[in-house]
Amino acid sequence: MAGVTLRGVRKSFGRIEVIHGVDLDVRDGEFVAFVGPSGCGKSTLLRLIAGLEDLSAGDLSIDGVTVNDLPPAERGIAMVFQSYALYPHMTAYDNMAFGLTLSRTSKGTINERVRAAARLLQIENLLDRKPRDLSGGQRQRVAIGRAIVREPKVFLFDEPLSNLDASLRVQMRMEIAKLKEDLRATMIYVTHDQVEAMTLADRIVVLNAGRVEQVGAPLDLYHRPVNRFVAGFIGSPAMNFLEVTAAPDGSMILPGGHALRVPTEVLPAPGTPVTLGVRPEHVGVGAEGMPAAILAVERLGGETHCHVQLEDGQRMLVRLDGDVPVQAGEILPLVLGGETVHLFDADGRRL
Amino acid sequence: MRIRRIAGRAGLALLVLSIVAYTVFPFYWAIVTSLKAGSALFTVEAWPTHPSLENYEAIFRQQSFGRNILNSLAVSVSVVALSLGLAVAAAYALGRVRFWGRTLLLLVVLGVSMFPQVAVLSGLFELIRWLGLYNGMGALALSYMIFTLPFTVWILTTFMRELPKELEEAAMVDGASPFVIVTRVFLPLMGPALAATGLLAFIAAWNEFLFALTFTLTDEARTVPVAIALMSGASQYELPWGQIMAASVVVTVPLIALVLVFQRRIVSGLAAGAVKG
Repeated sequence: MAGVTLRGVRKSFGRIEVIHGVDLDVRDGEFVAFVGPSGCGKSTLLRLIAGLEDLSAGDLSIDGVTVNDLPPAERGIAMVFQSYALYPHMTAYDNMAFGLTLSRTSKGTINERVRAAARLLQIENLLDRKPRDLSGGQRQRVAIGRAIVREPKVFLFDEPLSNLDASLRVQMRMEIAKLKEDLRATMIYVTHDQVEAMTLADRIVVLNAGRVEQVGAPLDLYHRPVNRFVAGFIGSPAMNFLEVTAAPDGSMILPGGHALRVPTEVLPAPGTPVTLGVRPEHVGVGAEGMPAAILAVERLGGETHCHVQLEDGQRMLVRLDGDVPVQAGEILPLVLGGETVHLFDADGRRL
Repeated sequence: MRIRRIAGRAGLALLVLSIVAYTVFPFYWAIVTSLKAGSALFTVEAWPTHPSLENYEAIFRQQSFGRNILNSLAVSVSVVALSLGLAVAAAYALGRVRFWGRTLLLLVVLGVSMFPQVAVLSGLFELIRWLGLYNGMGALALSYMIFTLPFTVWILTTFMRELPKELEEAAMVDGASPFVIVTRVFLPLMGPALAATGLLAFIAAWNEFLFALTFTLTDEARTVPVAIALMSGASQYELPWGQIMAASVVVTVPLIALVLVFQRRIVSGLAAGAVKG
């Protein structure tokens, strides 16, 4: 088991640079998730680590060895693809054994490793089936099994669950979490689903337009996003952003005139425009709150989402616990807590 | 309404019938003629009154027709094997590897097949003399690839392009070299395309006439189409129509059998090249 180190990694396709200098240390045995909107370069970054794309600049090392010029098979990695990429004409057993056969591993060892992986993934009874006779979840297990038998230093997952339906996805997520415990291997996991990232990862790397925005433990990203992009990307429903102004005493003037004292490291200069971020679940209702007109209500049973409009026209989403009997057209007095809001300057950086 | 529907069906049936008659009649006539002997050839009848296999015996006894069939078989099989081997390798490069001038190269390959055979005949003749292949199987195998390779390369390239890229990448991660990827991952998936292109190449080589006539001299080196065309009767003034027809039937039957066996695969192969597999 080993760590992965990226230093100043860049990638261009033709004249277009898609990865703009990424530095990252993935520790030994760590589960790291790459998240970001589509086109942010997370899959490209994974393919660079896998060796399926060549680096344009920078250094990449796995287990302390520089692997810039090594082919995928010699990097000590195994990859699980979004489309599973099983060989259609081979049985599940042969799919898992293929890599070992190519490296001239003895028949006995191959058999041992394939059976062990199959036992771990509970697909022992499917080994002589072809991929077309397997369900999506079973195919995904075979694909993961193919990765396990290679006994790689690093596992790479490229959106492995996004082809599965919702309920199966939840189940496979649990299984991957279990796999992580069983194997204790270094894993890098690309996903656009932040729930997967939040639940599985030890650390999350948030990527945007080919740059790393923030690296941190899931709850660190939730509680202390370093900029407006991370704040808006992590958390569901997404964070609300309000335009407010700083008062001379350091408090924020909310729409409707209320002042809110926010503990910050840097006090914004009085009068400067500041963006205030507040998660829908951190907005309370109480007397003396800022009045907001309800535009629409979404009832999910366990929670109620209210789309509201403030006096100055800014819109917000408020999440209330339980089935709250509110209706569109009513006025909701909203209360914010200084401890649970985030402030960002004009460039989107956290204050 | 009903009358119109019946009329429509009758019209369609008539059309199908005439198409079938148009395509099958020549072959039927060949069979009928091949079963006739002597002057019975010149009477018109739907089925010979005294059918005999005399002509079939004669082509193998009087002519070196058995040898000609073996020649044709050897040439066609080696053309198919060589074309598919080269075309699979070329298709991997043209369909999977990005390099400068790839499209141009594909167009050149297609362009080669647009020259009429006669245009390249004399140049090719010189080439074959220079290589010392004249009057041998090698000359035919080499020259036939001029017209089999363009379409085998094109069909296999489009087919290979449709195979998912992840499959190749998974194999690369598993440690497969390009050769292993082609032979152990792609080739088993290309069965339908290989069957279709292989059969088309076989038919083309089996029926080829002009090159076979030009590049062979002696009876022992001739292939079936040339042998049939040059079949001679007892005298210079007699054309052995019965034997010619018997020989034609003998060489057509294996083709029909092959097409019937591979029919389903050909259709799926040709369709897969065009749309998506």
